[in-house]
Amino acid sequence: METISGAELIKALALLAAGIAMGFGAIGPGIGEGFVGGKACEAIGNRPDEANLITKTMIIGQAISETTGIYALVVALILIFVV
Amino acid sequence: MEFVTICAMLGAGLAIGLGSIGSAVGEGYIAMKAAESLGRQPGASQKTLRIMIIGQAVTETAAIFALVIALILIFGAGGTTFMKGITYIAAGIAIGCGTIGSGFGAGLPGGSCMEGIGRNPENADALTVQMIIGQAVTQTSTIFALTVALILITLNPEYSFIKIFAILGGGIAMGFGAIGPGIGDGLVAKNANLAVGRDPQNMGLLTRTMIIGQAITETTDIYALVVALILIFVV
Repeated sequence: METISGAELIKALALLAAGIAMGFGAIGPGIGEGFVGGKACEAIGNRPDEANLITKTMIIGQAISETTGIYALVVALILIFVV
Repeated sequence: MEFVTICAMLGAGLAIGLGSIGSAVGEGYIAMKAAESLGRQPGASQKTLRIMIIGQAVTETAAIFALVIALILIFGAGGTTFMKGITYIAAGIAIGCGTIGSGFGAGLPGGSCMEGIGRNPENADALTVQMIIGQAVTQTSTIFALTVALILITLNPEYSFIKIFAILGGGIAMGFGAIGPGIGDGLVAKNANLAVGRDPQNMGLLTRTMIIGQAITETTDIYALVVALILIFVV
């Protein structure tokens, strides 16, 4: 086995960390957006005439839930390309 | 035993061991709701049993994907290089963790479909259609995980210390990244199905909203897929 330099070790662990960041970072937003979508469907079931308003609110709510997922993506991309 | 074979066996164990968690819980949830709905409507037992089995069969998909990968790893694992062994472990992690979310998620609309039949057995047809659409979309995250697992199995990378961790990272990103969106898709479909059970006349509107909601939930899964593919191919 050849020797491994410090820079190589840092790069290798940064790539593993990118995988962990994106993998675990996607769990929360996925479930959170599911809650938003589910309750929006429930609300449309109760008040079908307000469907447009509810869909609009659902999309805004999901977009905000998504932000943490985007943070995870950004961190993963930084770990891959910048570190 | 050779290193590659050991890795393939480890990957197979991870694939089917983790991969059966979600589907088993999901199917149990459907059966629970079916028993509950039979308590309310014993007359509709034929219909309830039939739709329960359809729902459980679709929920099983995720575990079947994991089984296929496990069997490929046990019987079809070739190659002799060190890196090949690492790809097998990563494939096991990707499909094993990746099926947990979809398996559990697909159980949720099945359960609320049973609840709707318990409320009014006449809505069974509309509920079954809505349940199957919801479950099918929920499987997306498993299909992404399956794709990445198959890519990893067929890949034959050059040895480098960095690449070992890149491939393991790709497997972890896709595997764990698919858990959340799978459960989230299931939650959307669950409430859409409950609403159809209350009033099947809103079904068109509800199906549309459900699919929009599920598509947005799926975005995090797509991020995970992109990061996994970058780690596998670009690095």
